[in-house]
Amino acid sequence: MNDDELMDQLLRDAMPAEVPQLSAGFDARVLRRVRPRRLTPAGRVVIAVYIVIAAAATLWLMRDLQVTWIVAAVAIGTPVAAAASVYGRRLAAGR
Amino acid sequence: MPQSAPAEAASYADRPDEWLVERCREAGGENAFAELVRRYRGPVFRLAVSILGQEFAPDAEDVTQDVMLRVHHALGTFRGEAKFGTWIYRITFNQALNVKARVRYRAPHVSDQALAALPTPDRDPYDRLQNARRQQAVLACVEELPEVYQSALRLHYWLGTSVGEIAVLLDAPENTVKSYLHRARRLLHARLAERGFDER
Repeated sequence: MNDDELMDQLLRDAMPAEVPQLSAGFDARVLRRVRPRRLTPAGRVVIAVYIVIAAAATLWLMRDLQVTWIVAAVAIGTPVAAAASVYGRRLAAGR
Repeated sequence: MPQSAPAEAASYADRPDEWLVERCREAGGENAFAELVRRYRGPVFRLAVSILGQEFAPDAEDVTQDVMLRVHHALGTFRGEAKFGTWIYRITFNQALNVKARVRYRAPHVSDQALAALPTPDRDPYDRLQNARRQQAVLACVEELPEVYQSALRLHYWLGTSVGEIAVLLDAPENTVKSYLHRARRLLHARLAERGFDER
């Protein structure tokens, strides 16, 4: 036996006998992660009701404010809400 | 007339990767992506295991999942300049190396008692310990080799992968893989001799 054959045998002996396997249900887990998440009809109703109530409450609370304050609030609040939405989606997608 | 979902999924099995990638980009391409996952999960997992090694093999499934999610996310940027397989294996190689760099500090120390208790054909406890130490040294020396040699050795000797498949996974010609294996054995021989192990 030459050195190469001896190393070959030594490597065969040294490597673990157990070969790891992917767990069952791997495909289902991956596909669940990539599937686009859609709101159920009930979820859509809840979101719509929330938007209407939030808009009404905001208008009522801001009724005595000057227009400049309202513009400032919208200018600050809109980008913050958009950024939070994008961040939330990325978080949910695991990226 | 539209095909039913199972019939549509079954028809994907014979399609080439490029066709499936195109289908994935369209709305409702879930079955096409499922076929790509089914086709590549095994090789991607084996490649990840071969890079991570025995101690971190449990992390290979996470790497495989991350690779599949990255691929799904990046399908829009895949231009088809390389084969889909080459692309996904390159992502796997890089991702596994990143994970290995992160988890390396978790490598446990193996005591002499644990080594002596390993099941080997030797009856004499001294021979058993020596044998176990030699095997431990072999595995430690494998860790010191260049990543591509480590991967080739583990794929060949541990996972029983053919030279042809290793060539595909590592994106190298078969002769180059044979050369990797030969050079890796020579390097191992030298490293073991430095550590005072004579394999004869």
